[in-house]
Amino acid sequence: MTRDKKRVLYQLLGLLVPFLTLISPAWISISGVGPRWAEIWLLPWALEEGPVAGVFAGFCLGIVLDGINLDGSTQLPALILFGYWWGCLGRKSKFSDRSFVLGFLILFGSFISGLSIWLQTIFQVDGIFFNAWSFYTVLAGGIVSGLIAPLLCTLSLNFFFKGKS
Amino acid sequence: MVNTRRKVAFRWWSKKSFWFWLFTSSFLLFIRFSKGAVLLDAFSIFSRPFWPGTAQKEWIVNGINLEQQIRIELLEKDNHRLREILKLKNSITKSQVSAAVISRRSRDFWQQLELNKGSNDGIKKGDAVLGPGGLLGLIETVTFTTSRVRLLTAPATKIGVWIERSKVHAVLTGVGTNRPQLNFLEKMPDAQSGDIVSTSPVSTLLPPNLPVGVIQSINYQNLPSPYAVVQLIASPEAIDWVRVERTNDKR
Repeated sequence: MTRDKKRVLYQLLGLLVPFLTLISPAWISISGVGPRWAEIWLLPWALEEGPVAGVFAGFCLGIVLDGINLDGSTQLPALILFGYWWGCLGRKSKFSDRSFVLGFLILFGSFISGLSIWLQTIFQVDGIFFNAWSFYTVLAGGIVSGLIAPLLCTLSLNFFFKGKS
Repeated sequence: MVNTRRKVAFRWWSKKSFWFWLFTSSFLLFIRFSKGAVLLDAFSIFSRPFWPGTAQKEWIVNGINLEQQIRIELLEKDNHRLREILKLKNSITKSQVSAAVISRRSRDFWQQLELNKGSNDGIKKGDAVLGPGGLLGLIETVTFTTSRVRLLTAPATKIGVWIERSKVHAVLTGVGTNRPQLNFLEKMPDAQSGDIVSTSPVSTLLPPNLPVGVIQSINYQNLPSPYAVVQLIASPEAIDWVRVERTNDKR
């Protein structure tokens, strides 16, 4: 398979993100909080395709995820931001053989996007600025994503984005 | 003259048959006056393998359930009639539809369920969703074949409830944790832990008198008004089927 075909295949794989989010399998979750599948898909894509494609993919994923989540908070800004940042990072160096760095990037990305949702919920719930539940959810989402990301991101970088174009 | 008879006194207590009959008769009397104490215990031990199985027990439980259901139906009809006389809002022109949970996210930032029935089955936004035990949440969005439930625990979910015992009204607000918060509207509400919280009978959004939860603790120190922590009766984490109350009245 040529690299272009694999690229299309990876785009199609992006369709799995909302379904995985909906299924939220209980065996990959830290007491109910599953991985942030959008970030896990976005990282290899943005690293390889650059900031513009990263921002666009982040935008599309954000729109879809806001469609399947309850109203009130959006993941859109965080996904666009990370699409851009990871796109810029990818231009500078190759990440496909550094699984620890990939895991750390996902951990950081999930943590920050969780924080952005927390900030939005502060204004919805009256008078609660710090609650243990939000902090716990942010942390659990980050950790579980960071744990499976090295495996999934390294595999997809090696399979979809290596080879001759 | 020789007395051939042995010089032995007649001792009645040395007769075996005497002791036998004494023992037997006292045992019978014991059984008679203790209302069969030993006998029934022995019977229960011997008959244990032949006791009715769980199937028969289920029949009886089902019978009791059916009886209670019929009673509830009768009471609801009566209630409906009385509310009509009082010209109160009524939502008994409703029908229930049961739906399966096809996606469950009850712990994340978005606490929601997806159901496998939608507008094709007459579900509308704002319909009440009930699990075994009580209210679970409200329908947030509807597609043709699915509908999304905003759980009571989700942040910023607000419904009007009251405590039936003391007729105190309050607002149940989801804060993300398993236990939503009950914000009272007055300074010193007549509430205590263990009180049952149900939907308000004057609510315009929800069917009246649906059980919601039980008060666990009350924080009287909070300003401007105290709040209580409520344990929901229906737990969304273990529910595969729910009932949606379709309201046909105009909103």
